[in-house]
Amino acid sequence: MVRTGECPSVAEMAKSLKSSAKSIRAALSRLSQSHAFMQQENGELWRVAPFSVISTAFPVTVGRRSWFGNCIWDALGIPAMLGKNAQIGASCGCCNLAMPIEIHDGKPHSGPGIIHIAVPAREWYRDVAFT
Amino acid sequence: MLLFRSEQHIDRWCEQWKRPRGGTLTLTQGWKLAQLWYGDRLNPQWQPKTASEVESVFQNVGLVGEFWKLTE
Repeated sequence: MVRTGECPSVAEMAKSLKSSAKSIRAALSRLSQSHAFMQQENGELWRVAPFSVISTAFPVTVGRRSWFGNCIWDALGIPAMLGKNAQIGASCGCCNLAMPIEIHDGKPHSGPGIIHIAVPAREWYRDVAFT
Repeated sequence: MLLFRSEQHIDRWCEQWKRPRGGTLTLTQGWKLAQLWYGDRLNPQWQPKTASEVESVFQNVGLVGEFWKLTE
């Protein structure tokens, strides 16, 4: 995902690793125990933290490459992980007003904004999509 | 974890979702958290953080209190 911006499918991983789709799904299931990886119901990846495999309200652009974060933490995590300047197309969780964030020279630049996390840390992985 | 324009917009969102208010961070805290959380993620030797390591990260960012606790 870092190199191409695309997440390989289970079939693509099986082909490139000369393995079976069943083995790949089982391996992804084991990796998902760390919560860094999470699968969709069909076994394909949904989250490769900090990247989201599916489109979200948190697009992140670094140079000519773009990804999606699962939440504002993950969106900030993409330039933090890559050590790059970035543009994050965030918006208000309440009214959807655009709240773009620019990461430049190792710092965030934006208008006023507050991050809210709804679920206490102990409960994060009960329903990570809502957190 | 969502970004909001103001405290009032957080309150509106909580009312809409019938949720109590959770924890809040400034954008600067969120950026520091992201750096501490994901800064080492490309290291092939990366391992998930333990609960006490996660709490240590939270403390470094100034996130303390029951909401941010993982251990007893």
